[in-house]
Amino acid sequence: MTTVGQLVFSGMLIGGIYALMSIGLTLIFGVLRIVNFAHGEFLMIAMYGAWAMTRYLGLNPYYSIVAIVPAMFLFGVVVHRLIVMPALDKPHLVVVFATMGLSILMQNVALMVLSADLQDVPPILGGRSFTFGPFYAKPELLIGFAVAVACTLGLRFMLQATYLGKAIRATVQDGEAAQLMGVPVPRIFLITFAAGSALVGLSACVMMPLFSVFPTVGLNFVLIAFVIVVLGGMGSIEGALLGGICIGIVQSLSSYYIAPAFGQMFFFMLFLLVMIFRPAGLLGRKGEATLGIND
Amino acid sequence: MDAAPPRAKQRSGRWRLLPERGTVSLFELVLLAVCVALVAAPLPQYLQDVVIQTFLWAGLALAWNIAGGFAGLISFGHAAFFGIGAYTSSILAANYGLTPWIGLWIGGVLSTAFGAVLTLVCARLRGPFFILSTLAAAEVVRIAALNWATLTGGAEGFSILPIASIANMVFESKTTYAALMLGYFLLIYAITKTVEGSRYGYYLFAARDDEEAASAAGVNPLLARTGAMSLSAFLAGIGGSLFAQYFLFLDPTHVISPELSFQFALLPALGGLGTAIGPVLGSFVITPLSEMLRSYFGGAAAGLHLAIYGGVLVVVMLYIPSGIAGALQRLAEHRRKGTP
Amino acid sequence: MTTLLEVRNLIRTFGALNAVAGVSFSVRQGELVGLIGPNGAGKSTLYNLIAGAIAPTSGEVVFKDRPVGGWKPYQAARAGVARTFQIPKPYRHLSVLENVALSAMLHDRSVAAACESAQAILADVGLADYVDAPVGNLTVGLLKRLEVARALALRPSLVLFDEIMAGLTPSEVKGMTSLVAGLPARGITVIWVEHVLYAIMKTAPRIMVLHRGELIADGAPEVLVKDPAVIKAYLGEETSVA
Repeated sequence: MTTVGQLVFSGMLIGGIYALMSIGLTLIFGVLRIVNFAHGEFLMIAMYGAWAMTRYLGLNPYYSIVAIVPAMFLFGVVVHRLIVMPALDKPHLVVVFATMGLSILMQNVALMVLSADLQDVPPILGGRSFTFGPFYAKPELLIGFAVAVACTLGLRFMLQATYLGKAIRATVQDGEAAQLMGVPVPRIFLITFAAGSALVGLSACVMMPLFSVFPTVGLNFVLIAFVIVVLGGMGSIEGALLGGICIGIVQSLSSYYIAPAFGQMFFFMLFLLVMIFRPAGLLGRKGEATLGIND
Repeated sequence: MDAAPPRAKQRSGRWRLLPERGTVSLFELVLLAVCVALVAAPLPQYLQDVVIQTFLWAGLALAWNIAGGFAGLISFGHAAFFGIGAYTSSILAANYGLTPWIGLWIGGVLSTAFGAVLTLVCARLRGPFFILSTLAAAEVVRIAALNWATLTGGAEGFSILPIASIANMVFESKTTYAALMLGYFLLIYAITKTVEGSRYGYYLFAARDDEEAASAAGVNPLLARTGAMSLSAFLAGIGGSLFAQYFLFLDPTHVISPELSFQFALLPALGGLGTAIGPVLGSFVITPLSEMLRSYFGGAAAGLHLAIYGGVLVVVMLYIPSGIAGALQRLAEHRRKGTP
Repeated sequence: MTTLLEVRNLIRTFGALNAVAGVSFSVRQGELVGLIGPNGAGKSTLYNLIAGAIAPTSGEVVFKDRPVGGWKPYQAARAGVARTFQIPKPYRHLSVLENVALSAMLHDRSVAAACESAQAILADVGLADYVDAPVGNLTVGLLKRLEVARALALRPSLVLFDEIMAGLTPSEVKGMTSLVAGLPARGITVIWVEHVLYAIMKTAPRIMVLHRGELIADGAPEVLVKDPAVIKAYLGEETSVA
């Protein structure tokens, strides 16, 4: 009984971290109505960034947040200007292929320029587990989860209470109407995309103590992110957190009781099940998946 | 995305210069002659390999295009169909002695079933939701193949016995393989051209461009889509079997990989989605290029050629979305408008 | 004359909104019936219900004496119901000719025959000059005529026109009006939603008025114009009748 409880607890923690990684993706979809297929590669370069700062500057990833997050924000601005913006007024498959192309480009440049070896950061917090009530967990997991929850709450607060937040929500509901009301929609698009990228940077710093980085690491994580975003409801931040926790628990339980390899397979099947029965996800707007994207 | 709609009137005689819907053009005839020449010519072995792969990928790209270009069902999971076909015929040959000439049809049927079920299951999904579903489905197939080692050999891979005979569909001469792949490519090209100019093809274009309007015009969109994906999967599956007979080794990491799925979509996207000649052009440009880069840069090329494709894809998509075929069409129109 | 279409107590709600709130009427073969009403009256929803784009919350639609029972749009088309879309929905990657030929393919099994039929219909609606044009270049007025052509190419028994006059010049309105007026003689029954009232008031012998999801009037134009309920519904709107 305690094993199950422990598994669920650990699953929840890692799930929260997965969610943090996915919030950017769901936010971008909610506002721009596009899926950034290069999302995994954004994570990859941010993780390499965090690793490099540890390796060459001795800064542990938690401190690197200060550098990585703004850097990723800028990176998001550049990608948005160069690739996303020109694609927005074209048929939808253009942005799909363009971000896919970017993904392949980034993956392979990394493969050529960096070693294909897995890279890790040395343990920062002693490597011992904390006890948290009846459960135990690595402190890195606890910190990561805390950051994820704080981020979700912070974003929600920002969306409700600030003008920018309201502008974003207006754009999500009806971009045209928002524009007519004076919301600078193109700027909102830019800010949202860059913010999504910055959030990926944040999650990379929090994930680096827990995972290794290698050039194609993005692929593993982006598929998880897609599943979480769909499960939680595209565009819903709280949905991403909820979805992430679900995925984390499913993976944790199935890895232990069945086999680690099958852990991955299970949440793809979960993804497909969600697609069949409730494509809008747990907290998404109904009919969104069936409407898809308006060209 | 189509090239410009066909011009009903043309200055020159009965023959069209550039490929058009519903007719055979001079361009295509010349290309056919070139392909036959490439098979018959006494090329060195490594060039023959390039020819074989170019023809195979032309066929595979055309197969993808039926779903992705004609029906608008963009899939980043076609490697699943390829893999199902490849493994089915190979396992049947190895375990039951069934000749791949028959086994490949069974592989095709299994791929078709998988494709049809997937389309029906994802019937209500559009845009990125559908694309992600294809990704997920392909990953499920890959992980299953990876872990069902007793059936597929798992990560260690599956070898096809290299005993040359017609019944085994293993050949000593690369010329024979080239002819086989050319046959595959031409068959799919013929199918593509037929669909493109047929009522069914038009129904696919309409359902792709505006599903509501098409439905109001008597098109059953789900049936049309499922048919397109089924045909696409079938042809990709057969391609997989042919590949297995040529390469003689299968493993899930390379045969059912996202990279391979990307290749399926890349070639038609660069060549011109939704046209018949587009995927062909895509393969004829990209496949030899890949091989050249691979031989020039050796190991480092593992990243290089894909990096280039990624970059090129971004640029092409943003600035020449109708691909090579579309660019050619526009060139021809410019010249036509230029002549008095 | 036989009854072609019968709508019985049709209700369609969207959450708390009664888009169509219990509508009943019947249309006989060969009729030309106008359907007017202020914005938001429920006309498009009614069309969607008849043509199968959405299913009713309750009530039924009976076409050619058979209840359609929540049919899909393509089944409606095959049974002989054609409709135009208020916001034109052309197939962007096909030419004007191909757009219409697609509809013709419902009956013409070969592409060549369908293109021939399409040519004739395009001439009918005055789009003969645009046969090879890509649809991206067309103005709204031309696109609306394309919608009409596509609907007629289905060789329907019943056609549902949705604001086909918008964007037309007065002489084009005249042309389109006589086209529509001539349809019953060709065996096509017409229901016609329109905001360009002078066209419809002069042409349609019978007009139904929809307001807030309910049919508030149904009769000859001269009678309707004096109906206090109709005038009240349109209060504030221009209702100049020639």
